[in-house]
Amino acid sequence: MTSCLTIQERAVAINPTRSCAPIGAMLANYGIHGAITINHGSQGCATYPRHQMARHFREPVEVATTSLTEKTTVYGGKQNLLAALKNIWERFHPTMIMVCSTCLSETIGDDIPAIIDEFLDKHPEVTIPILSVKTPSYIGNHTTGFDNFLKEIALNLPERRKKKGETNGKINIIPGWVNPGDIRELKHIVREMGLHGLWITDYSETLDGGYYSPRPHFPRGGTTVEELRSSSKSLATIALQRHIGGEAAHIYERRYNVPAHVLTMPIGLKNTDAFVNTLVEITDHTIPEALEVERARLLDALVDTHMYTTGLRVALFGDPDLLEGLVGLTAEMGMTPAYILTAADNRPWGERMVELTEELGVESEIILKGDLHELHKRIRQRPVDLLIGHSKGKFIADAENIPLVRVGFPVEDRFGYHRRSIVGYNGAIALVDEITNAIFERRATTIVSNTLIETGVEGPTAVPITLRNDAAAR
Amino acid sequence: MQFKCNQTLPERAIHIALKGPGGTCQRGDGTACFIANNVATTPGDMTERGCTYAGCRGVVGGPVKDAIQLTHGPIGCAFFSWGYRPHLADSDFHMKYTFVTDMNETNIVFGGEKKLLQSIIEANAEFPDAKAVFVYNTCSTALIGDDGRDIAKQAEAIIGKPVVFFECEGFRGVSQSLGHHVGNETIFRQLVGSVEPEGDFSRSINIIGDYNIKNDIRTFEYLFEALGLRIIARFTGNVSVDDLKIMHKAALNIVHCQRSATYIADMMKEKYGTPYINVTLWGIKHMSQALRDTAAFFGLEDRAEEVIAREVARIQPHIDAYRQRLQGKRVFIYQGGPRAWHWIELLRELGMETETVATTFGHTDDYEKIFRQIAEGALIIDNPNVPEIEEILIRRRPDLFISGNKERYLAYKLGVPFVNGHTYDTGPYAGFVGMVNFARDIDKALHAPVWNLLHQHARPAPADRHTTHGFEEVES
Repeated sequence: MTSCLTIQERAVAINPTRSCAPIGAMLANYGIHGAITINHGSQGCATYPRHQMARHFREPVEVATTSLTEKTTVYGGKQNLLAALKNIWERFHPTMIMVCSTCLSETIGDDIPAIIDEFLDKHPEVTIPILSVKTPSYIGNHTTGFDNFLKEIALNLPERRKKKGETNGKINIIPGWVNPGDIRELKHIVREMGLHGLWITDYSETLDGGYYSPRPHFPRGGTTVEELRSSSKSLATIALQRHIGGEAAHIYERRYNVPAHVLTMPIGLKNTDAFVNTLVEITDHTIPEALEVERARLLDALVDTHMYTTGLRVALFGDPDLLEGLVGLTAEMGMTPAYILTAADNRPWGERMVELTEELGVESEIILKGDLHELHKRIRQRPVDLLIGHSKGKFIADAENIPLVRVGFPVEDRFGYHRRSIVGYNGAIALVDEITNAIFERRATTIVSNTLIETGVEGPTAVPITLRNDAAAR
Repeated sequence: MQFKCNQTLPERAIHIALKGPGGTCQRGDGTACFIANNVATTPGDMTERGCTYAGCRGVVGGPVKDAIQLTHGPIGCAFFSWGYRPHLADSDFHMKYTFVTDMNETNIVFGGEKKLLQSIIEANAEFPDAKAVFVYNTCSTALIGDDGRDIAKQAEAIIGKPVVFFECEGFRGVSQSLGHHVGNETIFRQLVGSVEPEGDFSRSINIIGDYNIKNDIRTFEYLFEALGLRIIARFTGNVSVDDLKIMHKAALNIVHCQRSATYIADMMKEKYGTPYINVTLWGIKHMSQALRDTAAFFGLEDRAEEVIAREVARIQPHIDAYRQRLQGKRVFIYQGGPRAWHWIELLRELGMETETVATTFGHTDDYEKIFRQIAEGALIIDNPNVPEIEEILIRRRPDLFISGNKERYLAYKLGVPFVNGHTYDTGPYAGFVGMVNFARDIDKALHAPVWNLLHQHARPAPADRHTTHGFEEVES
């Protein structure tokens, strides 16, 4: 089995899989109770992400903008940011303000930290933390904004331990770019282990909230600023996505002596085991019966479905961490992740994915700097049975009549995916079921006696075993 | 009305007015109402406004169905403006594909002109059937001084088809409204009149300012055709580049969205002498009037009356039935611009009264039209922000809120029935038949059993991680 690494060379991006940095910081900030984001830039830089998040989470999403205009591109945006800070503080009394930058404010060179300092000097009554996060759209992608936010949290919020060994008894957990349902599943695991997580950050409720009367002033839920202040006293930090939070975990280790554990996103059996085993390693707690039962149920689901999934070719697209986790599960299901496409320009990750897929015994093409048009062209040349990724993959799925299993962000054309979980044993079970059913929907006219009566099959599904060994086809 | 949320924002007061007894305006001279509009947003007020790029790429250029929609800038602008607005056409290339030069840090430092040129060439090579390349400029590429106009010219010579460069950087102007203007001007300058077709255009029109949201145009196009008129271009919805090139041949322009598209009607009037009429293509009275005005221009009055009688007869029983169910409901409309005044009469025809009207980017003429139409006691707000909207929903407690997707979930969290007026819940809503859809969606929104569940069975939030609100104390 040999996998290969390709870097897409086209200058123009056609149907990108990624968006830009500010939305990542805005999303992460939603995980802090009572925190408000000010986006320092053009109005569209706040309104577009708000609209996008509203389409995914189906929740009100509120982000302030400094409404920069032509004049400010000449004279700088300082006055606008000062006014915005004042207005947000006076009107909302938030628990924290996060200011994220944009192409515009970065290119004109506004020194946001200095402006924040000036504001705090002028307003001694403001005692809340005001964080500055660099999020120009031309660096990285939406995950970069999330990651930069986490780094700023790690650098600025925690208080130093007052005495050696002082602990809050909690474990910092950085879930990364996941859905509210994922965070709830992770919380369930940690709770079952008899542990207390300190979530950096937790938008499981703020972006999947209930209906309450009266409506709370800020969305209910989220990690509090006080908790984040004490995150330096935790037993350990577990980052569940390498590129979103991995660096922050190391900051906790370096600055506050909180040991860092950076893991693969816990999708599938082995990746979830790694997470649970890390919890065991940190605390000496034993794995509780409830988790053992869930784990056994996942194995059962994998064995029940393997005759429908083994040998299928699947295309995965999205962010590196999500893909890394998904490769684990799809390989456990016997599927070949034929194309693994990300927009990220991350060669070390790509090389690691080549190794990982080879270790897993699957043959993959890993495509960096890729877009969905490129993926579509690949699929036209050599088809796949299944597509796994966010909603924008629907155009390929429709055109090629292959099922799309929706994961990641955004899922804007279906309901409730933000509530679902794909992590942990339960998340994997749900995803195994969904993938299998997607295959049924597409391939079978009917299911009789638990076997498929297949519809006229064209393309790659006919004899998958030969395809897998067919070196000439590459 | 004094907004509690505006206690620390006194500058918002001039954007808000109440229509007083005898048609007086709290901010007027007895006849007119002066509401501050089309001015810069107060920073950090939680505005709902977007940017010039959004107005140009999203609204005016985006619906052109056979142009490559290329954003010159970083990825986000293109990703967020891709496929979310249902400006449908009879093909879906424009909905399915978005193109972006994907500026990275190196490009920002060394300039993006080469990448832009290469992107145009590559995009055209991938989709050779496209009829033009629309290039939208963004904040960063404008700031670094890329000469997009020049690149567009070079590219045009290479690929042999129009490359239209829109100077719609997000920081220009105060709202998406300027983007509409840029879109109009650029398309007019670069495309309109570039082909001189043969033939008789004496009975032809353009539909100006309708974006074919959820196929709106289908609800009225056949009515104009029934008058014996030929539609050349729809600016812009279900429109091709070739249509735009010859739209100057039309005998008359019918202007629907008078905020985002009067510009091109004015330019055509000046350059080609094409007259235009303003119309509203929503609701029975206005739709009928639009057909009468159009027919009068061509001397086709009799035919118009036939068409109107036939169509009204078709929908009237439905409208009457819905009217029974909707009678007396009080509405809060918050739209981008003209829909706020387009719909006041339509809602009256359904038995409802609009008691709060707001627009994101309305200009003085929009507010004049709103003020003329609304009843005494109604409130007008320019560029409302999230806390203001929330306060209206809590304190004025409208029976129905008509707005867009961003506001939908705020309304839901406050238990207020909502219909999406931007992209429609179902749609189309225009024309005679569309009005039935509109009424049906309003009826669904108002009479869903969920509201009783919410109002009778909802409980307060559990105390942990929960901050209470201040507004309820004011008045209920």
